[in-house]
Amino acid sequence: MDLTGGFGARSGGVGGGPYREPIGLESLHLGDEFRQLATTTSLTPDNAGGSFTALLELPPTQAVELLHFTDSLSSSQAAAAATTGIGGGDIIIAPPPPPLHSFGGTTLTFPSNSALMERAARFSVIATEQQQNNGNYHNNETPTSSVPSNSSDRVKTEPPETDSAMENQSLCPNQTNRSGKRKDFDKKVKSSTKKNKSSEETEKLPYVHVRARRGQATDSHSLAERARREKINARMKLLQELVPGCDKIQGTALVLDEIINHVQSLQRQVEMLSMRLAAVNPRVDFNLDTILASENASLMDGSFSGTAMQLAWPHQALETEQSFHQRQLQPPPPPPQQWPFDGLNQPVWGREEDQAHGNDHSNLMAVSENVMVGSANLHPNQVKMEL
Amino acid sequence: MASADKTINTDVPEKDVFAIHFLQSLSNLRIQNLFNSPDTTNYRVRKIKKAAYVSMARAAGGTSRLWSRALLRRAAKGNNKIVRFPRRKRKVTWKISSKRRRSDQRAPVVEDAAERLRNLVPGGGGMETSKLMEETAHYIKCLSMQVKVMQCLVDGLSPK
Repeated sequence: MDLTGGFGARSGGVGGGPYREPIGLESLHLGDEFRQLATTTSLTPDNAGGSFTALLELPPTQAVELLHFTDSLSSSQAAAAATTGIGGGDIIIAPPPPPLHSFGGTTLTFPSNSALMERAARFSVIATEQQQNNGNYHNNETPTSSVPSNSSDRVKTEPPETDSAMENQSLCPNQTNRSGKRKDFDKKVKSSTKKNKSSEETEKLPYVHVRARRGQATDSHSLAERARREKINARMKLLQELVPGCDKIQGTALVLDEIINHVQSLQRQVEMLSMRLAAVNPRVDFNLDTILASENASLMDGSFSGTAMQLAWPHQALETEQSFHQRQLQPPPPPPQQWPFDGLNQPVWGREEDQAHGNDHSNLMAVSENVMVGSANLHPNQVKMEL
Repeated sequence: MASADKTINTDVPEKDVFAIHFLQSLSNLRIQNLFNSPDTTNYRVRKIKKAAYVSMARAAGGTSRLWSRALLRRAAKGNNKIVRFPRRKRKVTWKISSKRRRSDQRAPVVEDAAERLRNLVPGGGGMETSKLMEETAHYIKCLSMQVKVMQCLVDGLSPK
């Protein structure tokens, strides 16, 4: 058989696969159908009669569309499409929908497939002989006996028909494949410039539009893999910039090791510092109310920047020492809702906020050191107060 | 690639926010009268460490980050507190098994490191690798900020 010889290399696994194949594979895809038809059914048409004449009325593109539908969609859809595609209500395909469905891969019944083959043969002939489409009754006898020899013609006529049918086919899987990620295959990549096009990735949208590079597999799985790998690589670059000394290291494994070491060292530092704080702690009272009272007296900075104004208590940002002492005597203002702390510390935070929201690193250092110095100095005072 | 970087947001508040939260938590500890008669220093150390982490998580953005959310949940469990978090849109937990099985095939080098990172970063168990790396970046920034704050404190408080 010409068919089996020509397409022997191609496995039959394409039948149920994704439909976004490049154009070159489409002809092979259809070749599978014909091979299945040829090998599993007899070539002599058993179903004679009215069905042929009915089928002859169909234009070739719709017939090929029917062929595609039998392969890709369910029987109901195929039947619906067939009946609508025909247009006229009087022309109904005599073989009922089940034969169309059975072609999809289960056990094939003889009459239906021969009818399909007849259709295919006929319409390929019609396609090549488009100018002789008057009634088509002349073609009745010729295809029936020459079905095997038509296979080669069929193969040649497939490519022009696939282009028209491609649109129809690509639309249907579109409707069924709409899930989280959608990949747009750029078929022009292969025929366009020889440079590699960079694959784009938008992280904001729910869809990830990835362009297949030249010479790379356009399988949906490999595209997903590539998109994911690039996401990971982008984030790894981010981490590399963060961790000191990672820029010079070559290779992802070492970089990752370095990152992990950095995280571990930071956590160990936190533990070490908390131990030191615990050792220091009993000496120092962390009662910030009194700390800040003295600290404000010592810290006469004019360092309240504009950002302090944006905080919850902008009206207090510019208070001076005198107003602070005055406010101390007054009941503390109600806290804003930003700080979900308990009532004890809320007034304290108000005051501390004013000082602690300087922008500079040095500012904060000064503040923290002054706080601590103030606390250390205050210790005897506090003892007196508590007594 | 550059556009992808712009969409990854790993902003961390200034040092003073961390300082405020930490000092507040420390004063809370103080109020609990833990330090009057500690049995062992270990208890105190653990308390301070926990306070440090919790304050860091709060300062770094509360529940808007996965790691901080997991940290706070872990801490609240220890205190037997009932913590309510704003409902997330997706439940993450069921994805662990499905993604772990396939992740072994994907660049095993990366996935080994991701496994180690998951043990280190709080809440890492439910995250996919790319999300994990984002969280790690934010976590590293916050940790370094917290370390700086604590260093300042200790330097200020230590006897001269």
